[in-house]
Amino acid sequence: MSESGDFVLRARAIVKRFESGDSELEILHGIDLDLRAGERLALMGPSGAGKSTLLHVLGLLEHPTFGTVDLDGRDAWSLSTQERARLRNRYIGFVFQFYHLLPELDAVENVMLPAMIAQSRREFRLDRRAHLAKARDLLSNFGLAHRLKHRPAQLSGGERQRVALARALFLDPPLLIADEPTGNLDRDTGELVLDLIFRAQQERNLSLLLVTHDVRLAERCSRVLRLEAGSIVGAVSGRG
Amino acid sequence: MYRVFLSWRFLRSRRTNLIGVFGIFLAVGALILILSIMTGFLEETRISARGSLSDIIITMPPYSDSRRPRDPAPVLELLRADERVAGASAHLGWMCILTRQDERSLRILVDSQMSEIAGIKLTGIDPATEDNATEFRPSLDRAGRNDDGEIEAPRVRVANLADPFAAPPEYDASVGRPRASVIVGEKVMTYHGLRRGSFITLMTAVPDPASDSGWSAKKREFVVAGCFRSGENEIDIERVYIDRGQLARFLSGVSEDDALPEDSIHFSEVLVKLKDYERDAKVAREAFGAQLFRAGLIDESCSIRTWEEFRKALIGAIENERVLMGIMLSLILVVAGFTIFAILSMMVTEKRRDIGVLTALGAPPQGVLVLFLLIGFWDALIGALLGAVAGTWMALEIDPLEQKLSETFGVQIFNREVYMFDSIPSVVTPLAVAAIVVGAFVCTLVFAAIPAWRAANLDPVEALRNE
Ligand SMILES: Nc1ncnc2c1ncn2[C@@H]1O[C@H](COP(=O)(O)OP(=O)(O)OP(=O)(O)O)[C@@H](O)[C@H]1O
Ligand SMILES: [Mg+2]
Repeated sequence: MSESGDFVLRARAIVKRFESGDSELEILHGIDLDLRAGERLALMGPSGAGKSTLLHVLGLLEHPTFGTVDLDGRDAWSLSTQERARLRNRYIGFVFQFYHLLPELDAVENVMLPAMIAQSRREFRLDRRAHLAKARDLLSNFGLAHRLKHRPAQLSGGERQRVALARALFLDPPLLIADEPTGNLDRDTGELVLDLIFRAQQERNLSLLLVTHDVRLAERCSRVLRLEAGSIVGAVSGRG
Repeated sequence: MYRVFLSWRFLRSRRTNLIGVFGIFLAVGALILILSIMTGFLEETRISARGSLSDIIITMPPYSDSRRPRDPAPVLELLRADERVAGASAHLGWMCILTRQDERSLRILVDSQMSEIAGIKLTGIDPATEDNATEFRPSLDRAGRNDDGEIEAPRVRVANLADPFAAPPEYDASVGRPRASVIVGEKVMTYHGLRRGSFITLMTAVPDPASDSGWSAKKREFVVAGCFRSGENEIDIERVYIDRGQLARFLSGVSEDDALPEDSIHFSEVLVKLKDYERDAKVAREAFGAQLFRAGLIDESCSIRTWEEFRKALIGAIENERVLMGIMLSLILVVAGFTIFAILSMMVTEKRRDIGVLTALGAPPQGVLVLFLLIGFWDALIGALLGAVAGTWMALEIDPLEQKLSETFGVQIFNREVYMFDSIPSVVTPLAVAAIVVGAFVCTLVFAAIPAWRAANLDPVEALRNE
C-alpha cells in the first residue's frame, strides 16, 4: 500500500512481565513490530499467547517492562502521563470485544466522547454543531440513523459495536486498534461490522491492528503475524 | 468538557446520590437552625442582661470602717463631669425576705424547690437620675403588656411612670401609718400573688455594733406600687425597687417621714452609662478607677467593671455552649461527608469499566479525579444550597413553626416560661451561614477525594479486561 517509510507505529523489544505472587511471569519476550500508514495487520495466535497484552502496550494502556513504542515519531512511554493521554486521544482509536460504551450516554454522545475529552468546555461548545453533525453522519453511514438517541442498553450487540467503531473513528486517528471486534457477535453481524471496519480503513487510509481468531478474516489483511507464547513465530503476507 | 458533563450524568443516573445530597441538606439545615437559635439566645441574654445593668458598674460595699464618704454625691459629681458619661446613678442593694399575710408566704419559705424566689434583692434607686444610667423606666413600661406591645393588664403597671414611687391609687392612706412604695419584679408579683396596692413585709438584718451578734433584724411593711419587666428571669424573679432614701431609712430603723441619720448606709453601687460604650468602655473604666481612687472616693474593697465583665460567667457560658454545640453538630457534617464517601466508593467500584474506557479514550488520571470530585461537588452544591435556604427559612420562621408543631403533636416543644422569652430567639448571621456552607463543601470534597483518587489510579487494562 503506502510505500512511504513513515511508520505510524514502531515497537522495539517489547517485554512484558507480570508479578504473580513471588514469581515473575514473562508474557511477551521482546517483540518488534512496525506498522505503516494504510497497512492492515492481523495478529493471530492461541488463547493466552499475549495478543491482548501486546495491544494494550502498543495502545498505551499498559506499561511495557522493557522496550519502546514510537507513535507519531515519539517514544510514547517516555512522555508524561498527560501527553500520553493526549496521544491516546488523538492518535489511537480503540474497538473492544465488549464494545465498552458508557451506559449513561446515548449513541451520539458516546460517539462524541473523544472530542469531549479532547476539548475544553468552551471549545466544545463552539464546535458542538459540527460535532453533532459528524456523529450523526458517522452513525448514519453505519446504518444507525434511527438509533441516534438510543442508550447502549437499547441497542443490539452489532449496533453497539458499530457505535463503538464510530467513536473510535470520531477524531480521525491514524491508528485503529481492534481486539477481537467480532468475538462477541454472531457470524453475519460480525461480517457486517468487519466490512465497516475495512471500509473505514480504506477510505481513511488508516493503519489497522486487528486481533482475530478468524483465518478468513486474516486473509483480508495485508500482513498476518502469529504470536505464540509471547513470541512472534511467523509472518504471512495476506491479500488485503 | 467531559468532566462536568459526565459527572452530572453519573450523578443523575445514580439515585443513591440523593442520600448524600439529603445528608448534606440535613446537616447544613440543622447547623444553621441550631446555631441561629444559640446566637439568638446569646443576643437575647445580652439584651436582657443590659435591661437592668449599666455600662459600668462600680461596686462600693458600705463597710462601716471605711473612710469613704457615706453620700454618693461626690462620686456622682466626678463621674458626671466626664464628657464620656451620659449619666450616673447610685444604688443601694440589700437582700431581704418577702412575706405577706398569706399561706403562700409560708409555702414559699418551706419549699426547697422554690429556693430561687425565697430571697429578694431590694434595690434602692433615685428615680430622678436613674433613667440616665439604666433601663429602669422602659422596664416599668413593659409590665402588663402582651406580645404585641398592647397593655393587657393595666392594674399591674405603675400608675404614674413619671413618679413611680408615689402611692398607688388603690392605697388608702387612712389605714395605719404611711408606707413607702416598692415596685416588684413581674415574677415576684405572680409568685407571691400580689396586686397593686398589696402590702408586703420585708425582713432583713443590718450590722449593729451594739448588738451581741453584731447584727440586728429589721422588718417593715411596704405597699406595692406596681411591677416591672426587665425580660431577664433572674431579675424579674427577685428584684424589688424602692426609693433609695426609703431603703436607707428602713435599714436605719427611722420612720418614713423622718430625716436620714448621718451614719446610715446610703449606697452600695454606682452605675454609669456611657455615650459610646463600644468606643470608650475599657479606657473609661480605667480612667474612672484612677480618678476615684486619687480622690479617695474608692478603695481596695471596691470594684469597677463594665457590664460585660459583670456578666462574664453567663455570657461566657452561653458563648461556650454555642461553640460546643457547633463542634458537636459539625459531626453531622462529617457523617454527611462519610455518606458521600460511601456512595462515591460504590460508584467507583461500579464504574470501573467506564473509567477504563475513559482512560482508553484519552482521559488523563487528573481528569478522572476531577470527574469524581465534581460528583461530590454537585452533591455538596445542591445539598448545601437547599440546606442553607431551608435552615435560614426555619431559623427566621422558628416561632410560628414551633407553634404549629406544638399544636399538631399536642406537646410544648419550647417552653417559653422556662426561658422567659416571648418568642424563640433566633438570629441568622450571614457569616455563620457562609461558614457552614463552606464547611460542608470542604468536608464533602475531602471525603470525595479518597474515592476520586482511587478512580484516578485504577488500572485501565484491569478494568477493561472482561464484561
Ligand atoms: N495482570 C496480569 N497478571 C498476570 N498475568 C496476566 C495479567 N494479564 C494477562 N496475564 C496473562 O498473560 C497471558 C496473556 O494474556 P492475554 O490476555 O494477552 O492473552 P490473549 O492472547 O489475548 O488471549 P485470548 O485470545 O484468550 O484473548 C495470559 O496467560 C494471562 O493469564
Ligand atoms: Mg485477548
